[in-house]
Amino acid sequence: MKKMTDNRPLSPHLSIHKRVLTAVFSIFHRISGIGLSVGALLISIWFFLISFGPEFYIYFEILSKSILFKLVLMIWTVGIFYHLFNGCRKLYWSFGIGMELSQVYKSGYAVICLTLISSLVVWYLA
Amino acid sequence: MAQFTLPENSKITKGKTYQLKEPANDPKKLAIYRWDPEDDKNPRIDNYEIDQEKCGPMVLDALMKIKNEIDPTLTFRRSCREGVCGSCAMNIDGVNTLACLKSMSDVKNEIKIYPLPHMRVVKDLVPDLSKAYEQLASIKPWLQREKINEEKNSGDEKKQSPKDREKLDGKWECVLCFCCTTSCPSYWWNGDEYLGPAVLLQAARWVSDSRDSERKERLKAINDSLKLYRCHSIMNCTRSCPKGLNPAKEIAGLKKAIVTEL
Repeated sequence: MKKMTDNRPLSPHLSIHKRVLTAVFSIFHRISGIGLSVGALLISIWFFLISFGPEFYIYFEILSKSILFKLVLMIWTVGIFYHLFNGCRKLYWSFGIGMELSQVYKSGYAVICLTLISSLVVWYLA
Repeated sequence: MAQFTLPENSKITKGKTYQLKEPANDPKKLAIYRWDPEDDKNPRIDNYEIDQEKCGPMVLDALMKIKNEIDPTLTFRRSCREGVCGSCAMNIDGVNTLACLKSMSDVKNEIKIYPLPHMRVVKDLVPDLSKAYEQLASIKPWLQREKINEEKNSGDEKKQSPKDREKLDGKWECVLCFCCTTSCPSYWWNGDEYLGPAVLLQAARWVSDSRDSERKERLKAINDSLKLYRCHSIMNCTRSCPKGLNPAKEIAGLKKAIVTEL
């Protein structure tokens, strides 16, 4: 017998919940984490091209000069710094420090500022 | 794997629109999620309009006005209308809160109202909370002091110093509206196993009670990769709590206690 409760719909979630900053910071921590793992693989391939000998060095050159590769590298540096600073923030939270909502927002903005400043410094020096 | 889209029977369709019959000085539009278990249709959004001059200031006042004067079929839970019962929890303007504590003037445009997210809907704005209550029961939310009673005379008064009592502040105030639990993406995707912030806050409340003898047992019971550690400190719970409590911080306290005490 079909019960009345079988057909109950699932209330909407992602599509209707406000993009609250707390969740946005968290999902970007994940995305940057995944991006960094994939990026680390790509970068090691890039480095391996040097060690594989002269016939591969040409690919290293082409890759290093392409704008697309530079762009990926730039995004990767942003990912590194975001993941690093936000990771520190989460580390503090593990001790129960800085978990009041106002502090959470302030440290979140601080992470964004630090990420941007650090990335700009690295790009400037590179 | 989490399913990010709604199942076929849960997709939302357009519903009816009820317009004001007479001109109003201060009109307000409300778009409300509706689902009737007695027909086979998908959920819909009905649009209502009310005159704020002839209505109380809170979203709950508007809902009651609609139910009384426009559409008596509109269904929602409510009781105390002052934020102590936790019945009228719903998603208003994208954030879970209590309708009785949410002022209509806080929402600039149309007020969008949905049931608590990622829950089975019983009718309209009434979600099925039975799973959440089951999870609450699983952490044994009552005072356990068999061990203490064995040692002492069991008729003893259960004394607690003001300092120990303070440890319960920020925990006992919870009204179990489940606004936090249903705002947590982790609970959306792992709600079968993960206890969720509301229940973990209650776990922290009983773990912190100086009169309780089962602190260690309680910590052991929740020390589980799914029950507790699906909390990734997203902090949506704290962002959402209509009582201004901080479930995420209490969960961090539980994790810390497990590391240091077990």
